[in-house]
Amino acid sequence: MSTRNEIIERCRASISRRYERPSLHDLRPTRYDDILLTFVAQAEAAGCHVEIAKSPEEIDGIIAKVYPDAKVIASNLSEVKCATLNPDTVKDAQALNGTDVGVIRAMLGVAENGSVWIPQKMRERDVCFISENIVAVMPKKEIVNNMHEAYALITSPKFGYDDFQSYGYGVFMAGPSKTADIAQVLVRGAQAARSMTLILMEEQIR
Amino acid sequence: MKVGLFIPCYVDVVYPNVGMACYKLLRHLGIDVEYPQGQTCCGQPMANAGFEKKGAKLARNYKDMFEGYDYVVAPSVSCTAFIRLHYPSLLKEEGHACNIAANTMDMVEFLHDVVKVDKPLGCFPHKVSLHNSCHGVRELGLSSPSEIVEPKFNKIKDLLSLVEGIEIVEPERDDECCGFGGMFSIEELAVSKQMGERKFLRHKATGARYITGADCSCLMHMAGVAAKENIDGGIEFRHVVEILASGL
Amino acid sequence: MSTSHSKAAMRFLEDQNYADWHDKTFWGVRTKRDAMVHSLEEWERLREKASQIKRHTLTNIDTYLRRFADAAEKNGTIVHWAKDADEFNKIVLGILRDHDAKKLVKSKSMLTEECELNPYLEANGITVVETDLGERILQLDDQKPSHIVMPATHLSHDDVGEIFEREINTEKGNHDPTYLTYEARLSLRDEFLTADAGMTGANFGVAETGDIVVCTNEGNADMSTSIPRLQISAIGLEKIVPDYEALSVFVRLLARSATGQPSTVYTSHFRKARPGADQMHIVIVDNGRSKWLADPEHWETLKCIRCGSCMNTCPVYRWSGGYSYSYFIPGPLGINLGMLRDPRKYSGNVSACTLCLSCQSTCPVKINLGEQVYIWRQQLESLGVANKEKKRMCDSMAALFGNPSLYNNLTASAFMLNSMPGFLVNSGINPWAYGHKMMKFPKQPFHKLIRKYQKNERNEDEDV
Repeated sequence: MSTRNEIIERCRASISRRYERPSLHDLRPTRYDDILLTFVAQAEAAGCHVEIAKSPEEIDGIIAKVYPDAKVIASNLSEVKCATLNPDTVKDAQALNGTDVGVIRAMLGVAENGSVWIPQKMRERDVCFISENIVAVMPKKEIVNNMHEAYALITSPKFGYDDFQSYGYGVFMAGPSKTADIAQVLVRGAQAARSMTLILMEEQIR
Repeated sequence: MKVGLFIPCYVDVVYPNVGMACYKLLRHLGIDVEYPQGQTCCGQPMANAGFEKKGAKLARNYKDMFEGYDYVVAPSVSCTAFIRLHYPSLLKEEGHACNIAANTMDMVEFLHDVVKVDKPLGCFPHKVSLHNSCHGVRELGLSSPSEIVEPKFNKIKDLLSLVEGIEIVEPERDDECCGFGGMFSIEELAVSKQMGERKFLRHKATGARYITGADCSCLMHMAGVAAKENIDGGIEFRHVVEILASGL
Repeated sequence: MSTSHSKAAMRFLEDQNYADWHDKTFWGVRTKRDAMVHSLEEWERLREKASQIKRHTLTNIDTYLRRFADAAEKNGTIVHWAKDADEFNKIVLGILRDHDAKKLVKSKSMLTEECELNPYLEANGITVVETDLGERILQLDDQKPSHIVMPATHLSHDDVGEIFEREINTEKGNHDPTYLTYEARLSLRDEFLTADAGMTGANFGVAETGDIVVCTNEGNADMSTSIPRLQISAIGLEKIVPDYEALSVFVRLLARSATGQPSTVYTSHFRKARPGADQMHIVIVDNGRSKWLADPEHWETLKCIRCGSCMNTCPVYRWSGGYSYSYFIPGPLGINLGMLRDPRKYSGNVSACTLCLSCQSTCPVKINLGEQVYIWRQQLESLGVANKEKKRMCDSMAALFGNPSLYNNLTASAFMLNSMPGFLVNSGINPWAYGHKMMKFPKQPFHKLIRKYQKNERNEDEDV
């Protein structure tokens, strides 16, 4: 017998009663009256800086304003004209080390925790982590109440499921990298980004 | 309604006044209460130490003694909780059905939920810090546990607020364990003492003159630790029922 | 009547300043958890659903394991199965050797602690670098985790500062946590860039999609897997959840319970090797779990999602520290898992519980942790590890309490203990006297007093 079958068989033999799966219909999760306000408050609590842009043309300006000293900007987003590196065309993942600002696309935001869903849509995804600072561009109207709603949506093509499937990676990200491993003192920028800026787009990017 | 009074072993020997307060208060409320002689222990000390089965005979005695009563009440949340939660299985193994376990109540529960006392009780013009014993909070539901998300309530406070002149306060970490734990206090000497001392100091920090609770064993533990460490500062311990019955 | 835990706890409490700090630190985490969960109206419903989903998944784990492995393989991931720690370690080493990988960066994984993977790999010539900051500190100082979520929180910033001065050449005397964190960031950055392989544990495996889900705050699991060309993820077989609907329940509970955050910074889903990388491997580990599933009293311990909230709230953990437990996982969870692993070896932890039941009131998947400790205590005798002295004590109690007339005779003279010479009462024969001043016994027990009182009552009635 293969180890796989052996382990599965051992489990089967250990089960004496099989429990039903509960329905979540009566969970009644919290819904927020002002979902955008809640999302922004939670994102800020997670350490994000939040900006609102009326058009894609404003993105470069916001990056320049928030990160005036940035020299190396990595992005494969067409609306980011100020990019100096492209994670699709760099030689390898290591080549993105030293990036001051990585600019990526988020598909939706979650009000309850301020996180945003980022399916991988670039060759080298370390741009999301190795960059000193991260900027996520997201449509302002795509905000859901909670993780139940978020997980129900991320398998839809509208929210980038094709990319998630083909690249095989996606992440909910809530603010910059954090740790409190030394004496419970909160420090931002443990291993990944030291800061995160969210740009909420008023209009859909075509 | 016929009520049997159960006075657990250590209350019998160390805190007879608590038993007397129960009896007097129940009589004052016009309740037909009896104290059957021949009571000893519920078996909890052995059970917490890992020898629950050694208490089977005690469970049988208890059942024989209190069969026929509508309720059995006791001034001890941990004994009550033990009887209610563990007697059914202990007696089942002995081939007895057991309704009496379900009808065994702590004094606070009984006064609050069955008698539904709402008239003024005794007079106790002092500042009192309330000790919420673990088994009262998390097994009998005398108050809402701090861990659980539900509307706040506290049956002990409800009753104490019927006492004239009393000021009720609660320590910081209001339902953290005092570290008694029965056999725990013998097996884990250092941690038990440490927890008892810190719990006592939090009560003391409220500025209360008395510490009260629904379980004498927690009070006995804290009192013993405070006296040994010479930190009691004149603070006295009273069971809740003693306060409810004071001046009656 | 001491136990391995009580002896270690006594040593821990010798340094009162440290013990105070330790208690406050972990109570602080409990407080953050409270603030977070009390702001979520559906919290208790969420816990109940989580418990039910775990029960369902565990009692159908044969189906879900098959589904998970099939989905992962369909994604292009290579799935391995390990019956025990030894097989697990060999599989991981085999994968590394197949790829000629010499340096492995790792994110935090209690499973690899359980299997003692690091020493095994190191003995076989692999350089292993822990990348979670807490784990890295411990690795540099050759220590073990003292907590499953905050593995190095038992160390002060001065402790960490001294370790870093010695191991990564930080400035002498600069023990500022922010400075130290940034120095660790710099030193780990080099490791990420030069590692051949990255390894993660798993918070969840999603049966329907084959995802490995890892929750971190530092982003080290993502750094570990987005730079090296090889990824290995290890998962205990109890960590499988059916699908995203189920996952959404657990993700909402985990960080709130663990650290009092509404979510971790990163909730990462790994499905396959990234473009241009070699391979992604998943190793599914049994190591006792399939056997524990059959234990009628204790199988629900397997529901655990490793949030650590039972440790933070446990007063015994806070006042005795992670190292006072003999199993590598401490606190209420560790007492129970240790007993499942080997009751003869780890029964010395069973005393470390007052049965206050705070642990099971915080547990996000409603494991009855405290009640299980009670059940383990009942099982010690049949396992042959009951304390003889304690048993004798319980025998005498049973004899005394089982005989009301003996009890009445003895208790009638209890007050005489008051006049016993202090050196006898307060001596070592009486363990109560270690922490307590002896109580004063009143002259008459209740059962005598009430007899007199009732007699007077009757006389008064007659007078009327």
